Amino acid sequence: MDGNGRWAQRRSLPRSAGHRAAETTVIDIIEAARAVGVEWLSLYAFSTENWNRPGTEVDYLMRLVRRVVRKHAPLLLARGIRCRFLGASDPRIPRELARDFDDLSVLTADNRGMTLTVAFDHGGRRDIVEAARSLIRSKTPADEVTERLFADHLPFPDTPDVDLVIRTSGEQRISNFMLWQVAYAEWVFPEVLWPDFRAPDFLACLHTYRRRARRFGGVPPRTNGDPS
Amino acid sequence: MTTGTTGPADATPLFGPESQFSAFFDDPRWALAMIRATVLEAAHPQIGAALADNSTFVAHPWRRLRNTFLSMRLMFGADPVAREREAARLNRLHARMSGSDSRGRAYDAMDRGTRAWVVATLFESAVTMCRLSGQPLDQDTMERMYAEYRTFLAALDGDAGALPEDLNDFWRYFDRVVETELENTEAARVILYRLFDHLPAPALFEGAPTLWAAGRAVAGPLLGAVTVASLPEPYRRRAGLPEMPGARTLMQGAYLAAGLARFLPEGWINAESIIEVLSLTPGSDDPRARTVTALRARMKQASALLRLLTPLSGDADLTPEPAPSAGTGSSRRSAEKFFRQVLDQTGDGHLDWPDLAAMARELATRLDLDEPEETRLYDAFAAWWRELQAVLDTDGDGRISAGEYATAVPTLAGPALIRVAEVLFEATDKDGSGTIDADEYRTLFRTAFHRDLTTTDGTYGKSAFVGDFLSFMSGRRTNTPYDPLLADA
Repeated sequence: MDGNGRWAQRRSLPRSAGHRAAETTVIDIIEAARAVGVEWLSLYAFSTENWNRPGTEVDYLMRLVRRVVRKHAPLLLARGIRCRFLGASDPRIPRELARDFDDLSVLTADNRGMTLTVAFDHGGRRDIVEAARSLIRSKTPADEVTERLFADHLPFPDTPDVDLVIRTSGEQRISNFMLWQVAYAEWVFPEVLWPDFRAPDFLACLHTYRRRARRFGGVPPRTNGDPS
Repeated sequence: MTTGTTGPADATPLFGPESQFSAFFDDPRWALAMIRATVLEAAHPQIGAALADNSTFVAHPWRRLRNTFLSMRLMFGADPVAREREAARLNRLHARMSGSDSRGRAYDAMDRGTRAWVVATLFESAVTMCRLSGQPLDQDTMERMYAEYRTFLAALDGDAGALPEDLNDFWRYFDRVVETELENTEAARVILYRLFDHLPAPALFEGAPTLWAAGRAVAGPLLGAVTVASLPEPYRRRAGLPEMPGARTLMQGAYLAAGLARFLPEGWINAESIIEVLSLTPGSDDPRARTVTALRARMKQASALLRLLTPLSGDADLTPEPAPSAGTGSSRRSAEKFFRQVLDQTGDGHLDWPDLAAMARELATRLDLDEPEETRLYDAFAAWWRELQAVLDTDGDGRISAGEYATAVPTLAGPALIRVAEVLFEATDKDGSGTIDADEYRTLFRTAFHRDLTTTDGTYGKSAFVGDFLSFMSGRRTNTPYDPLLADA
C-alpha cells in the first residue's frame, strides 16, 4: 500500500487525503481478490518502522483505520471473509483500536471464504524473533528445530508461504514484510500509486504472476530437447 | 388470630408433584410474581432491615436465586425427611440473623409474625399473578393453595398459627398489613430501582458484558415499572411510588404474555434447567458446558458486532474501560476488585459480619452441613471477623470500608483465617480420611479436580487445601476453584 503520500502531493493535497483515498482501493482489492478466488490476502497497512512518522500523521492513521474497520465490519462478515491482524502488539496502538481489531477477529473467526491478514504494526524480523523466543520457552532441543517446527512458532502459523507480493508505486524493496513467508514469493512492482490501484490492475498483476515459471530453486521442469 | 392445628404430618399429601405449587414452578409468570412478592416482603420494616443487612441478593443475585430455588423445591417436594431437614437448616440460618435497622428498631429473622408475612406474600402473589394474567383461580383451588402455604409455614415454624386459618380472614389480614405495616424501606427501593439496573451478569453471560448491559438497560426499567404497577394500591400510595401512564397496561401485558407460555409444549420451559444453565461456568466438566461454551462463542461474536456497530461519538467516546484481559493476563487481581467480588458479599460497600456470615452460609449450603459442623464453620468465620476488625477497622466504626481494606495492604492471612481453612477442610472431608477425594471435592466446587492441582494420587491434601484457600482469600491469586464459589454473581 505505497504511494498515498505521493498521490496527495501530486494533487497538492495534505498527506492525510492520500490515506483517505486508500480506503477505496482497499475495499476494491478485497472484493476483487475474493471474486477471483484468492484464498489468502494480506495487506501491509503499517510497519513497525512507520511509528517514526510525524505524530500527527500516526494519530490520523490510527483514527482512520478505526473508522474503516468499523465501517466495513458488517460487509466483511457478510462476505465470508476471515479477518485477522498480524502484529498489532505495540502499546502505542490506541486501546479502542486494539479492541476493534479483537472484535473484528472474533466476529469473523468462523468465516471460511477468504483469510484477510492485515499486517498492522508488523515487522518480519520481529515475528522471527518471536518464534525464536517461543521455541526457547518451549524448551525445544536445538537438534529438533526444523524449518517446519520453526514456522509453527510464528504468529498465525497456518499462514501458507506467500506466492505473490504486489508492491505499488514502483518501490522495489522488501521493507521487512513477512520475511519468513516470502522466501519464494514472486514480486510484481506496478508503477501505479496505491490510491489509484484498482481491480483491473490487481488482475493484471495476477496475470503476470501466472506467466512466471516458478522453480523454487530447481531447474525449469521442461527444457528444450527434453523428451518428457 | 386462631391457633392452627395443621401439623406437617397429616398434611403431607398436600405436597409433591400434584401440588398447586408445583404447577406454578415452571410458569414464567412465577418469575414476575416472585419479584413482586420479594418487594412486598422487603417493604415489611423487619424483613427489609434483615435483607439490607444480611442478604447477598445485590452482589450475588444468581447464586441467591439458585439457592432459593433449590430450597423451595425441597420444601415443597414429596420427601418429608428432606423437607424436615431443609426446614431445620432454614431455621438455623435465620436464627443467626438479628439486629436493628437504621432507626434502631430491632429485627429478628425468627419472629413468627414476620415469617408468616413472607409466606403470605408468596401466596398472595401467586393468586394475583393468576388474576393479572386473566386466568383467575377458582375458590376451591385458592383454598387448596392456601392450605399448602399454611403447611409450608407449619413445616418451618411448627404450626401455622401466625396465619389466619380461613381464607376470608386471610384477605383481611393481608390488607391490614399492607395498609398499616408496610413502609417504603431501603430494601424495597433497592429491589425496585437498583437491583435490575445493576444486575451482574450470570456466569453464562460473563464473556459478553456489552450484550448483557444492553439487554439490561432495556429490561431493567421495564421490570421495575411492571413490578411497581402490580403492587397493591394502598402500598403504592404510602410508599410514594410513581404512577406512570401506561404502566398498568404494560404490567398486564407482561403478565398476559408470560401466561401465554401455557400454550407451549410441555417441558419447554423448565425453571430448574434454566437456572442450572445460567449458573454453569464454561470451564466446568458438565456435559452441557460444551454447548454453553459454543453458545458463549456466539454471544461473544454478537457483542463484538454490537460494539463495532455502535456509532462513534466523535473521538471522545473513550469511556474508561479496563484493558482487555487477553494477552498478558496477570493472575493477580486488584485489591479493589477482590473486595467487591469476594469480600463484600452483601454489596453495600462495606465489609462487616453479614458479609462473612454469607460466605459461611454459602459454604455450609454447598457442603450440606448439619450441626455441629455448621456452627464450627460459623465460629471460625466469626473469629476471623474479630481478627479482621482488630487489624483493618482503623476508624473504629465496626465495619471495614473498601478504603480501609486497600490502605492496609491486605495482610489477611492471620491465624484465624488459617483456622477457617482448617475447619473448612475438615467439613469437606466427610469421611475423615485426612484427604479430600474427587467426590468430596466435587461437592464443594461442583467441578472435577483441576488439572494442574497439586494432587497426589487423586486426592487433595490438607496443606495444599489450606494453602490454596489462603492465597485465594488474601487476594493473591485468581482463577482458583474458589472463584465460582464466592466471586460469581
